Amino acid sequence: MGWFSSGSPKPAAPKPSSDGAFEAPNRSDRALCWEARDAFFECLDRNNILDSIKDKDAAERACGRLDQEFQRNCAGSWVQYFKKRRVVEYNKEQTLKRIESEGGEILPPALKR
Amino acid sequence: MSRPCSTIPGAFKAFKPTYTPSTQFPAARFLSRSSTRSFTSSRCSNAALRPPIIRQSASRRITSESSALHSRCAGQSSRRILGCTARPFSSTSARNKYKTVEEARSRYKLGPFSWPAGVLFLTSGIGLTMYFRYEKDRLARKRIAESTKGVGKPKVGGPFDLVDQDGNRFTHEDMHGKYALVYFGFTHCPDICPEELDKMAVMIDLVKQRCGNVLRPIFITCDPARDTPAVVKEYLKEFHPDIIGLTGTYENTKSVCKEYRVYFSTPPNVQPGQDYLVDHSIYFYLMDPEGDFVEAIGRNFTPEQAAKVMTDHIKDWRGPLDKD
Repeated sequence: MGWFSSGSPKPAAPKPSSDGAFEAPNRSDRALCWEARDAFFECLDRNNILDSIKDKDAAERACGRLDQEFQRNCAGSWVQYFKKRRVVEYNKEQTLKRIESEGGEILPPALKR
Repeated sequence: MSRPCSTIPGAFKAFKPTYTPSTQFPAARFLSRSSTRSFTSSRCSNAALRPPIIRQSASRRITSESSALHSRCAGQSSRRILGCTARPFSSTSARNKYKTVEEARSRYKLGPFSWPAGVLFLTSGIGLTMYFRYEKDRLARKRIAESTKGVGKPKVGGPFDLVDQDGNRFTHEDMHGKYALVYFGFTHCPDICPEELDKMAVMIDLVKQRCGNVLRPIFITCDPARDTPAVVKEYLKEFHPDIIGLTGTYENTKSVCKEYRVYFSTPPNVQPGQDYLVDHSIYFYLMDPEGDFVEAIGRNFTPEQAAKVMTDHIKDWRGPLDKD
């Protein structure tokens, strides 16, 4: 991964569990990660950056410190996932808004009977 | 008076229906208030003032015409009247059971309507409506629950052979006897699974509170390479103590995911400590005590809505249900 190159801080090593496999992040680990993510995304919002993978340079200039904090608190795969998901969520929101403005109606799939 | 029948009030009442032609009765109901009054009062004066000879002829006519009169004469004053010796034909009670003229008048005014009749009508109407609605909902649920039973139906779920978080073998047969709420996920899931498992914990408590201990919540991992029993145990501890966490060999987890139509994307060969994500479907599967699929509950349900779906299905269940 280009953006996840050497020099960026590594997340804390996962603890091995009793049978040798690595333990999953627990509730407080997740909370820490989500907090760092939200701080980073808020910074991106302020600087009008949507995709921090595509606009890597701009994101690093504007929110480099928070990005490092984010990567330190979350597993690499999670960082990737959240960054991509931010774009997907934004596009989804825009699509829903467009459909609604065109007079369409959106129903949750399983709640209708 | 030679004919006591015509003078005593009881006898007058008895004459009333037959003295006037029967068609006058419905008509009187639709007359205005004043005309009804004059109608009755004139008949009162008639009864009181007419010479006995007219009355006599009238009563004779009545005796020949009406069979109801016989019974009334016999019932009310047969001991005193010579002309009324006939045996009663019917045991039906008198048509006019009112004690006063006012009572009878108000009865005419209201017609067949009264408070008890109105209340009875409303309660039975509301009751029937509610019953039909309940039955409609129940049949809709039954259709959902039974759509996967029988031959030639799409099958969700099936036999599996996995290991629970304590390392004991757990197969599809261990799932039977109670309803089961099955959720697929993996412990390294970034955001959706933890949120869904928190919701699952609320659902479990709600169902337990309403239906007793009839639900077996099951978490099946889609990531057997990283999710060993010990990892699953440590992970589920934070959500709900009732949740059974299942894992197994790569092949066995892959096949259970396939049976539940869950997308399975774990790479077959992973190094320990390797960092990757797994894609999977995010549904709760409600399975009945025979292990058949009942309904899938998606992410858009709140825990409250999901618990209602489950308790409704559980209440519909008529087979044996393990409550221990």
